[in-house]
Amino acid sequence: MGLGLAGYLVRRLLWAVPVLIAVSMLVFLALRFTPGDPVDTLLGNRYDEELAAQLRARYGYDQPIPVQYVKYVQNLLQGDLGVSTKHVDFSVAEVILPKIRVSAAMGIMAVVVGFGLGIPIGVFAARRRGSFLDPLTIGSWLLLDSIPVFVVVPWAMWLFALTLGWVNLSYGGVFHPNIILPVLLISLPGVAGVARIMRASIIQVMGEDYLRTARAKGLREWTVVTRHLMRNALLPMITVIGLALPGIFAGALFTELLFGIPGVGREYLEALLARDYDVVLALVLFGSALFVFANIAVDMAYGFIDPRVRVGAARETG
Amino acid sequence: MAMRVDSIETGALEQARPRRLQLLRQLARKKIAIVALVWIVIFYGAGFFAPLVAPHDPNRQELSVEARLQSPSGEHLLGTDRLGRDILSRVIYAARTTMLFTLIVTLSGSLFVGLGLGLLAGYRGGWVDAAIMRVGEVLAGIPGLLIILAISAAFRPRINDAAFWLKDNSFLGDDARPIVFFLVIVAATILFSWVGSARIVRSQVLAIREQEYVLAAEALGASTWRLLLRHVLPGVLPIFLVGLSGGMAGIAGTEMALSWLGLGVDPSTPSFGSLLFEARGVRTFQEFPHLLLGAGIPVVLFFFAWNLLGDALVDLAEPRTRGR
Amino acid sequence: MSNRTLGLMMGGVVLLIVAVAIVFVFVVAGGDGGDDDTAPVSTDPTATTDPTAVTDPTESPAGDGDAASTPAATEAARGDGERVSGICGENRLITFGSDPATVLDPIQVGDADTAVYVTEIFGGLVTLDLDLNVQPDIAERWEVSDDGMVYTFFLRDDAVFHNGRRVTAEDFKYSFERAADPANFSPTARDYLGNIAGVLDKLGGSADEVRGVRVIDESTLRIELLRPISYFLQELTYTVAFVVDREQVEDDPRGWTRNPVGTGPFRLKSWRPLEELVLVPHERYHLGPPKLDEVVFQLGGGSLLTRFENDEIHVSPVPATELPGVLSGESDLSDLYRPAPQLSLSYLGMNVNEPPFDDPLVRQAFALAINREAINEALYFNAFLVADGIVPPTMPGYAADVSSYPYDPERAAELLARSRYAGNMPRITLTYSGSGGDPPDTLQAYLQQWRDALGVEVELEAIEWAAYLRELRRGTMQMYGAGWIADYPDPENFIGKLFGGDSETNHTGYASERVDALLREAAILGDNERRYQLYREAEQIVIDDAPVIPTFWGIDHYLVRDCVLNWPDVGTIVPKYRHIEIDTTRE
Repeated sequence: MGLGLAGYLVRRLLWAVPVLIAVSMLVFLALRFTPGDPVDTLLGNRYDEELAAQLRARYGYDQPIPVQYVKYVQNLLQGDLGVSTKHVDFSVAEVILPKIRVSAAMGIMAVVVGFGLGIPIGVFAARRRGSFLDPLTIGSWLLLDSIPVFVVVPWAMWLFALTLGWVNLSYGGVFHPNIILPVLLISLPGVAGVARIMRASIIQVMGEDYLRTARAKGLREWTVVTRHLMRNALLPMITVIGLALPGIFAGALFTELLFGIPGVGREYLEALLARDYDVVLALVLFGSALFVFANIAVDMAYGFIDPRVRVGAARETG
Repeated sequence: MAMRVDSIETGALEQARPRRLQLLRQLARKKIAIVALVWIVIFYGAGFFAPLVAPHDPNRQELSVEARLQSPSGEHLLGTDRLGRDILSRVIYAARTTMLFTLIVTLSGSLFVGLGLGLLAGYRGGWVDAAIMRVGEVLAGIPGLLIILAISAAFRPRINDAAFWLKDNSFLGDDARPIVFFLVIVAATILFSWVGSARIVRSQVLAIREQEYVLAAEALGASTWRLLLRHVLPGVLPIFLVGLSGGMAGIAGTEMALSWLGLGVDPSTPSFGSLLFEARGVRTFQEFPHLLLGAGIPVVLFFFAWNLLGDALVDLAEPRTRGR
Repeated sequence: MSNRTLGLMMGGVVLLIVAVAIVFVFVVAGGDGGDDDTAPVSTDPTATTDPTAVTDPTESPAGDGDAASTPAATEAARGDGERVSGICGENRLITFGSDPATVLDPIQVGDADTAVYVTEIFGGLVTLDLDLNVQPDIAERWEVSDDGMVYTFFLRDDAVFHNGRRVTAEDFKYSFERAADPANFSPTARDYLGNIAGVLDKLGGSADEVRGVRVIDESTLRIELLRPISYFLQELTYTVAFVVDREQVEDDPRGWTRNPVGTGPFRLKSWRPLEELVLVPHERYHLGPPKLDEVVFQLGGGSLLTRFENDEIHVSPVPATELPGVLSGESDLSDLYRPAPQLSLSYLGMNVNEPPFDDPLVRQAFALAINREAINEALYFNAFLVADGIVPPTMPGYAADVSSYPYDPERAAELLARSRYAGNMPRITLTYSGSGGDPPDTLQAYLQQWRDALGVEVELEAIEWAAYLRELRRGTMQMYGAGWIADYPDPENFIGKLFGGDSETNHTGYASERVDALLREAAILGDNERRYQLYREAEQIVIDDAPVIPTFWGIDHYLVRDCVLNWPDVGTIVPKYRHIEIDTTRE
């Protein structure tokens, strides 16, 4: 498996390159195609043809779009993400890194909460399979999953901040207790997904023949559980963790807007509206890279945990 | 919604065998699924017959201190909003927007494009398969909402001219602008919505192709399309429906999110996104909870119904977790 | 499933969570620690003070600062009373703000969001007081030549930069020339400094220095104008005329704005984009140092009113949609409500060169058909000010006798019937700039009123700010919702900038020879009363021609905690935070 896996990894990583190129071209074109450019926003009411022309020349917007794209990619390859036009004279890296840090922290906290609650609930439901508690647990989490952020946030703020007075709403940094409410609101819907998969996965694994065989062979319960049950029941969880993280990055937009959290989603929206070309592109590329690499990591993890999955072959043909 | 996980794709389904309408019969035995289905039918029915069902004109304002922000009453079952418009009527028209959006996206994107490409990829194999799946991989590998936002922001201003031209030169008339705006977000959403269903269909086709009856038909020289239509399609459909029902809430949510941000449907078209945007303030909720609840509860129930239905279908479709 | 199995499974789950948590700590906590080290704009004065600019120990600090407000005295005074807990327990104002849209460089500021901070950090020759009168700042006094062409400014000898270096006339000459340097792309230099002799030449690249600005001696500066301009001092209160520290700018031309050295009452302590911006007092500020220990602007937005109710911030804006709830009297917030009139106007602009608004009758009909009073009452609890004219009431030279069109639907219908477009009304689109799902209530209400009174359907179209500005400039929009905020307190800023035939910010295409003649005459008058009279005449002509429908005069709606003392109710951007202090003995 060693060489096959390495070769597979290389192939997958190489495949990420055309993906990212395609995405960057798509977004690059969409942005350049949009009426209104950063110079319009920058100058606003003080627009002056001469000044605007000078500024466009300075940022290179006066050149043909393919040339702009090539230049962008050249700079990108040298590690230069460009400059922000909304936060004038800040480099893109300076603008987005703090946001990424905030979003990453919130995303990871949300995943921890989501799994911390979701797995026990899934196990509980699986154990109570057949009784009314099973559909009730899953059903109630399904309901949570059905509440859009922009419905639940005003209600939750009203209840926890205004009525009960348990929490404050000001953003005080990622490690400030005020972050608890937004993190909970981001992670709760995910709990449903985790619980459902955990439940299905346990039920499935419990019935597998190899588990019965292992028990029949007289293996110790510990060995049965760690070698067979856990490994197989948690397998789908890896997919979920891997795929949930980038999803949280993109999906926390509304929570960020309503709570005033300086995260990636809000920066992206504001950059989009201000036509901050380079920031938008950098965030899209970042998000896409995260998706792509999360997918690869998930597949690799599969290979390690479940030898039955022959990574390379499985993907190439089926 | 952020962590929505598509349980369809986690592996168990790939072993599903063709069961045709059996699935629907089994579904009928699940009471909760029936309740969910009923709500979905009511929701879509209200949307479809909006002009008949809505008690008031959704855009008719009543601008006075007494008439605006009324709590629910006999005259206005869900109360009135800040401009004195009847919320129930606006909700019904918003349901119409949701209905149109989900139907168009699923029919054209998931059904037409997704099913078609999935069948093609699974059946033809080779470079066709590779090409389709690679494109799908690109699309699935990038954050959809971010791209949809960018596309919507980019095309909206452009599209105005086209819309006005259509308005003057086609039978659409006054509806041209909302329709064109609508199509932009539909197109952007379709770009991403076909991938999931194409994947499901493809893997099903691959599984079914190995079935003896299909092999036999192939050996007898049945034509490709005939084979697809007669043998493969019926086998694929149930599992396809399962996938679809799981994705509906996400599709409807995309439209609401875009409209909430002001990048969705035309502002004159009521949408749950704009209704909920109007009700987003905490103090607004404290004093006029009917604004948020009136629009929010139908939406939550709508998502809940699809989720329940999807869950029930998955349960039925997964032979390994069922009835043991 | 046996209990043992289940227990083991749960153990596995715990392990998994612990593993994720460990990764979390490494990734995030590690990263955040780094964040603290590299805080984008930490401005530790000890680290940044230029060693060459050692403070002169003989120089007395802040001459006219009254004793009671020096930090030590404030500290002592605070000891007397019982200090309360919560946000009122510290002499630290927590308010809200917008992320600066441009760098904190006076010559780059063209927007209100950034000007708020720049006017506190920097200063110029003159400044505005809270009543919007021009007052001495770094210039102690000035003389104007009889022909109104030459201004001689005498600088104070106790005005120092944040690093302790004294401000000289040479600094001003450098700052003016920097603003006029075409390589610096100042978006405002032409508008506000263009009247100074030589500025346009330098901007155009045909001169190396600004000949109209001359250093007489260390504390005397002479400015020569191209023509006598009656509102020249008002123009000098704008940020582009502020003084910057040459050494700092030249040492770090790109990065200095992260840590700007100005002469204003406050220094920048830290700025984390989209999070917060913190100002701390400049203790040697020549007009009296600020009384607060710190001003914190929270930049995150999002539910400010709720945070205010939750005692997390001292000052909160009241969104228009929340006004009835706050003002209705049922809420205990109504006692804390502090409206601040702005020098601003909301209006609907109409393109006078395109059908149907090329017919003045149509424009007048549209103006007569809207009922702004009803909207104000129903939607806003009468908290807004119906614009009964163009120049707002708080503006010097406001004319009470000028009035806009009253609500008169019958007359509106009559005018429309007499217009060229009676019965063949073309399609009308009202464009506004905005994001968010729901169009502004006022616009939706006008639509209904036009429908009712005139039987005309108007469509709303939302476009984003960048695209809106471009269309505005090109004059392509048929009808648009717009606002205008005064840059300096003079009626010229409204009448001239919005309706002058050659003004770049006149977007309606309106041109009236009579208005232009009045504007030209007023611009060079020394006598303010006579000048205001001319603007009044011009304003009435504009209203009669109706290229715009004035709708509301702006009011900033604030809620301010009782413990905030001396909060000025001023809606214009002037340096105001140095007057404020927190009563730490009061909730």
